[in-house]
Order: sequence, then structure tokens, then C-alpha cells
Amino acid sequence: MEKVGIVGYYQVKPGLDTMMSPPDMIFTAVRGALDSAGLKRKDLTTVIGCTNDYYDGKTISNAYKVDASGAYMKDESKVEFDGAHAALYGVFRVLSGNHKLAMIYGYSMPSCFPYETVRVLELDPTFDRTISLLNSYTAGGMQMRAYMKKFNVSIEDIAKIAVNSIKNAAKNPSALPEAQQSNISVEDVLESEILSSPLRKLMYPMLCDGTAAIILAPEKQSLKITDNPVWITGVGSCQDTYYLGERDLSISTSMEIAAKKAYKIAGINDPKKEVDVAEIFGHTVCEDLILAEAAGLCEQGNGTSLLDGGPALNPSGGTMSGLTPCACGLTRIIEAVKQLQGEAQDIQISGAKKAIATGQVGFCAQNNILYVLEGGGN
Amino acid sequence: MSKVQPAIISCGFSEHASKRSDVNMAELVYEAVENSIQLANIDWKDIDLIINGNMPAFEGANMPELWMGDHIAAKNKPVLRVTTGGTTGGSVTIAGYYAVASGLYDTVLAIGFEQQSCGDTALGLASVAIGEIVIYPDVGYDYGKMASNMSAGAAIGVAAYQAMNYMRRSKATEEDLARVVVQNRRNAAKTWWTHLKMPTITIEDVLDTPYLSYPLRFGMVCPASDGACAILFTTEEKARQIADIPVYVNGVASVANEPAILAPNMEGAGQVDPCEQLGAMKSAELAYGQAGISFPEKEIDYVEVYSPFPNQELMWVERLGLFEENMAPEAYKNGLTAWDGELPVNCSGGVNSTNAIGASAMKDPLRPHCKSWEKLQIKYLKRSIRQWGMDGVAQLI
Amino acid sequence: MEVGDKIKMPLPEYIKKEYKKTRTLRGMWYLTNYKYKFNMSRIKTYLKGLKQGHVLGIKCRSCNRVFFPPKTICGKCLVKPDQWVMLPETATVATASAGYAEDDKNRERPIPVIGVRQDGSDTVLMHNISEGVDFDTVYIGMPLKIVWAEERNGGWFDIDHYEPIEDPANELNKEENKK
Repeated sequence: MEKVGIVGYYQVKPGLDTMMSPPDMIFTAVRGALDSAGLKRKDLTTVIGCTNDYYDGKTISNAYKVDASGAYMKDESKVEFDGAHAALYGVFRVLSGNHKLAMIYGYSMPSCFPYETVRVLELDPTFDRTISLLNSYTAGGMQMRAYMKKFNVSIEDIAKIAVNSIKNAAKNPSALPEAQQSNISVEDVLESEILSSPLRKLMYPMLCDGTAAIILAPEKQSLKITDNPVWITGVGSCQDTYYLGERDLSISTSMEIAAKKAYKIAGINDPKKEVDVAEIFGHTVCEDLILAEAAGLCEQGNGTSLLDGGPALNPSGGTMSGLTPCACGLTRIIEAVKQLQGEAQDIQISGAKKAIATGQVGFCAQNNILYVLEGGGN
Repeated sequence: MSKVQPAIISCGFSEHASKRSDVNMAELVYEAVENSIQLANIDWKDIDLIINGNMPAFEGANMPELWMGDHIAAKNKPVLRVTTGGTTGGSVTIAGYYAVASGLYDTVLAIGFEQQSCGDTALGLASVAIGEIVIYPDVGYDYGKMASNMSAGAAIGVAAYQAMNYMRRSKATEEDLARVVVQNRRNAAKTWWTHLKMPTITIEDVLDTPYLSYPLRFGMVCPASDGACAILFTTEEKARQIADIPVYVNGVASVANEPAILAPNMEGAGQVDPCEQLGAMKSAELAYGQAGISFPEKEIDYVEVYSPFPNQELMWVERLGLFEENMAPEAYKNGLTAWDGELPVNCSGGVNSTNAIGASAMKDPLRPHCKSWEKLQIKYLKRSIRQWGMDGVAQLI
Repeated sequence: MEVGDKIKMPLPEYIKKEYKKTRTLRGMWYLTNYKYKFNMSRIKTYLKGLKQGHVLGIKCRSCNRVFFPPKTICGKCLVKPDQWVMLPETATVATASAGYAEDDKNRERPIPVIGVRQDGSDTVLMHNISEGVDFDTVYIGMPLKIVWAEERNGGWFDIDHYEPIEDPANELNKEENKK
């Protein structure tokens, strides 16, 4: 696979209830991304949006965002999964040779719709939706229970990972302000409200309004635009079966398959040693561990050892720094890019050369996508 | 790495009808997927990526390919969802093209479907605008006035306004519109999967129905259908081994334009002349450029146009560069676009006869092989329902 | 005729196939549970202008297009226009159509709805024409003038409707404008 360069990015600062309308947020993100790369709107050839009709409350949610996203008279399309999947479509377009510059954006505003209630519409209409007992809390709880039982992991260990993530988020300038708590301890996590046993509130991310945008370009063009592009050297994606009862919830087969594909394309043989930074999009802290293990960053069941060594897990706080559906995958890519360019400020992992960023959609990470990113040299 | 040439090796359909009351969404899609896999004679395990699209508001299901995984041959495979409203079928096909052209995936299945009987079509279409017009009562635009103002375009959206402007430019008459409808519906009767099969319809039958919005009559509008369509893409080498006549896709484009008639945030709508269609012209130019076509009217043998309303068919065949300005009604009168004419248009009946919104823009590109033409070009229309005004009234038959 | 009504109308016969009916389940998309956020900064200034009897449009300095009613973002230039301009009270018909009301006697009483392009602007606004104007006399390019509401209180319909005014080129355009 030829390398695809990420030449610009922008993240609108997330907020629990922003005073911006959706076109304003998208405009800020797209304009910011273009300015950060020093490009003009006329240089773009394609725009891929990632929004979800049900999260937006509007059918064809990209219809009235044409002006704001810079897509006027440009080849435009929309992917409805996660921002990272929209980036995958952008990678297709760039690699095909038809397009020289692709703008990918994703946004949603959980302050405007009841997130858990709307996610019921994702369920199988015949059985799961009529019973309506499955939502992200209960799914997270069941997943955590299965993981803890199979690998004999105690809840304190998982709470340690949560504390690590929240402390990282407190140092992250692009995190949700309400999610930043620097003085947090394992006891705080274990005494927080039970959402769905054994899942606690401080192990579950806070939903926030936000937008993220990145700009992709082919190899030759990337080197003309910036001296320090970050390369996408491998990508892999896979979807598991839907029914939770058919899967082993303590592992993630879809992430294993996706990671293998991505590593093969990127030429990575031993992720434990070669990957420096891992930005994992897990819907709960326990899912971060399960996905990190499935991506080959540590042994199965030994996710908590990532605190002691090996690839850095979620130096930006991961989803604990704020979860924006549809934009979270792009945020993970952006955080990884910042690490590789040496611009992550307080949370910088020194000497980061290779990173992975993941995105997911579906209950218990049904559909996973993994990117392998390489720094141009910093 | 040189650019990979994608090819289409099979096209599968499910039966389209007003109400497919015998199947749920997953089974409807499975009919199309099974049809396409059988026609291509490959094993479902050889498929590398599945791309799915539909208009979510019509079924009330968010991201249905997550739970339809087993029905779309997606066990442990990558899946992508591409939806853009009315042009979803076209966007899914374009995504399939790009997935193969990028070199990352070899065999890609692109699926478009819609089961409109599952949901309330009126609500589904209205919700395009509901999100934008909820603010109007706050500024003194009450619902009564809104209903009467939107009633002109309500049933049909921008199409009525497009028809007015087009008829003024080209001096087309209602008879010309009816002629297009008659051609489409009679063509649909020759295909097994279409919805409105009317082998004996005449221009008088169409003009005999009452007006919905001037100048479109009830007999001219498209139906709301249930249906699914699946297309298999693969690389050139594999296509030569698998299919007798692979269809090479040479150019794709999809261009977005400003809103027409109804703009968000109470703005003025940017398109002053709804029948100008800059987006269609630009996307045709891009696609022709990629495919290396300089003289479309000479080089193209067959056209499938996405036109739920007859005036749009006339308008778009001109914007695609196939006929001179305002000459399309003449061409239809002279039989140039008939089944056995020089440049056949919509031999499957087009969207005027079958409109399962998610699938409509994926037409049957293999059809012309029955008539063994040498060179084939496929034109996918990129003009989306999303740029229309509010549709309020259901069009059920 | 209400929005959402099913029109029962005769259609030419077509070949139908009967399908077996399978079980169905109810579902609902509760749009009322959603909030929608709008940027009202431009609209507020516009409505204040209407209250005073001024017709305000906003201009993008980069492409010099004027938007009436005002836009927050100019799509061509990807900037936020910020220069307000006063527009004249005259306009032309950019597009028109008619919805048909359900009368007791017949369905042939068209309610014209026009797309108005204010002189000097590059956008279209949907509005009404004076009552009593026959739809057959409305043509594209017809000149209009604003008729203000009797009491203006900063609402959308401070412009009550548009009325046709004399077209100096009427004789020349007679053939063009025949429907």
C-alpha cells in the first residue's frame, strides 16, 4: 500500500452543551484544518463527512452541511459509522489516484439527543429492541464481568487503568473540561455510582459535543505541503457477529483480525516492541484493555501490565477525555498524530515513532478498525 | 503501484414491490445478495469488503448492517456504511469502485436497499426539513402558513420548481413529460424486478390523472418501493477469469451543490434557477475526464438516469452533455431514446417505475450485454433528494 | 389537504404480484426528544431590519455575493460574511409552482407559491403572492414589490406578501411568458 499522509487536522474543543450550531462547529473544524495546513478550499477535491441521521435528528444529515464543510462543487460523500471509517473511505479515494486532497470530518452533539434511547434503534428490531434491556451500560457491564472472570483480573486493577486515563485526560489540553480530574484515586473510582454491575461511572466516558477534521493527501503531495507529515502505513477493519451470546466477550476477534491485517500491510512483526503509542477507542475502560490485548500490545488477560511498560496506552486519556460519537475515531487519530509530530505538550511520549489508532462502532466493539501511523521523523 | 481498474462482475436484485410484506429488511437484502453471488459464481468467502447503504429514516433502524451481518455475508469481514440520502445507491457504488481502485481490497460487494413499507414515507422525507424548520415558529412563521407554502412543493419537493423553470426554457409541454413516463413504464414491463410494470400505458392515461403540484400530475410521479440491489466489484484480472463480459468502471464523480428552495437556518437558498444543475454538469465533467471521454453524445451507447420525475430526465440528459440545450424533448419524440433507438435511456424503466430510495441509484449496468453492444458507458446521476424542499404527502399506490 | 394525508387517486393499471403477509412490530422515532441548535445572530439583525422597514442582505467580501435572507457561512469562500447591505423593495419571480387545495367542488384551485429573488441578491426566498392573482398569469421573471404587514413586530411575515407590478418589457416578453 502506498503511504497516505495526514497533512492537517483540527479539533473543536469539546463541551457538554456547546453554544454552537452544527454548521458553526463544522465550519470551525474544517477552516481550522485548512489553515493548519496552509491550504485553501479550492485545493480540496473531496470531502467525506461522518454524521449519523439518528444522532442528528435529521434525515440526510449531510444535506445542509455542504456550505459549512467546504464541499460546494466538490466530490462529497458520507459514511455513517465512526470517524475512523470515514477516514478509511478517504484513504480509498486518495489511493485511487483520482483525488489529491481529502477532507474528512465527523461530528455529533449528544447534548441534543438522548444517547442511550437513540442507541436502542441500533438493536435488532425483532428481539432486542422489543425487550430494550441492551444498552451501552449493560453491554459494558457484561463485557467487564466476562473479562474479569476469564482472566482473573480484579476490579482494582481495572480501576488503576481508569485512574491513569483520567489523569492523562487532566493533562490533555483538548479534553473535555468536566472530565479532567487530576486528584483522583482508585477509591474514588470504586466508590462512584454503579451503572451496570460491575461497571462504575468513572469507568465510563462522558459524552460531549465536538467536531474533528483531518486532511489526507497522497505521498508526493504530502511532502509538498508539509515537512512533517504523518503517514498512514497500514489499515485493517473487521466486523464481528452482532449477537452478544455468539461471541466471547472477554476477547475481541474482530480487533484481532483487523490488527493482523493492518500490521501485515505496515510490516510490523512485533507490536509489543514496535508500537510506541496506542490510542484505543474503547467504550469503557475495560474495553480499552480488551482491544489493546486483541491488537497485540500485550498478552491476553494481561492488559493491566501496560501501566508498567510497553506501548503507552491512551496518553491522551482515550475516551475518558470525552466521547463524541462519530468523531471519536478521528480524535484518536489526531491524538496519535500529535504524539508523532512531537506536539502533544504535557502528555508527550518522548521518541514516539509508530502509533496505532482505532475506531469502533456497534455494541461491545462489534466493528473495529485499526490504523498504523508512522511519524515522518521528529 | 499502478492504478487498479475495477470491474463489475454481477448485479443482483430482489423483487421490488409497493409492500414486500413477506420479508423483513435482512431477508430482502439477502435476496439481492444471493442473486448477485450466484450470477457471479463465486464463493461468499471470497468477498473482501461489504459496503451497505440505505436511507435510515425510512426503516427506523440505525446502522442495520450491524445486525444484518449474517445476511450480507459479513461474518468476520470489514463492513462500511455509506449513505447520502437519495443518492445512496450511487454513493455506495462509487464507494465500491474506490475500494477496489485503492488496491486495498480485491472483491467488494456493494448493497443498496430500502424497505419503505417499514416506515412512514411522509415522516421520513419530512424529517429532512423538520430539523431545519423547527425554528420557524419562533420567528412568527406559524404552522398554518408553513403548510400552505410547502404544499406546492410538498408532495414532490424541488421537482415541481425544476419542472416550471425547465418548461420555460425549453418550451416542453406536459405531453413531453407524459411521453417520458410512457417510455419508462413500458420499458419496466420488460424487466423482472421492477415495480410499476405498465406495458399498455398511453400518454392520455398519464394526462388523465389530477395535478399534484403544477405541472406534475399524479401519473407522472415515482412509486415508493421496497427493494434491494447488490453489485459485485473486483479487479480486472479476476474479472476476466470469473465473468464472460466484465464491465469496467472508468469514471465516477459525485458533486454537491447549495440547497435549493429550502435552505437551513432560514437562509436564502443559493440555487436561483433550480433547473441549472451545476452539480450535475460538474460531476459529468469530472467523470468524463477520468474515463477519457471527449464527445459524450458520440461515445456513449446507453444511459441510466436517476429521474423520479419525467422533467428531471429531460433536464439531466441535457446537463450530461448528451443532447443540445432544450433538445431533449425532440429526441424523445423522434424515438432516439427508445429501447431500440440510437441512445437508449432507462431501459429498465428507471426510477420513475421503481424507487426503493437506497437502491435506486444502482441501476443494472449489465443490461446492455443482452443486446451485445461493444462499448458501454455507465452514467450515475449525482443529484440528491437532499437538496429538495420538504416532501409532505405520501406517494403510495 | 393536510401534510401527511394519503391521496387516494386513480392510476393506470400495472402488473402486481401478491406477497404473503408476515408478522410486524411497531416502532417509533421520537423526533420530539431531540433538540436543535440554530445560529440566530444573522437572523436577529435581519428581523430587526424588517421591523424598521429595511430590507437587509449580507454580503461576502470575498466573492461579492449578497445573501437575502442572510447566511452564516459562504460556501464558495468558506468564510463568514459580515457586511450588511440594504436592498431595494423590488424583486423578481425566480420560480413558481402551485399546490392544489382540496375543494368540495373540484381540485382545480391552485395556490401559487413563488420563489422570490430580491433585486441585488443571489438567493431565493419562498413566499406568497397577493391573493387573487391567477396562477396562469405568474411567469418567471415577473417583477414584484414588497407589501409590508400592517403591524410589524420583528417577525418573519413583516413582509406580508409580494404584489406584481407593471412589467415594462411585457409586450416584448408576451410570447416567452405564455404557459
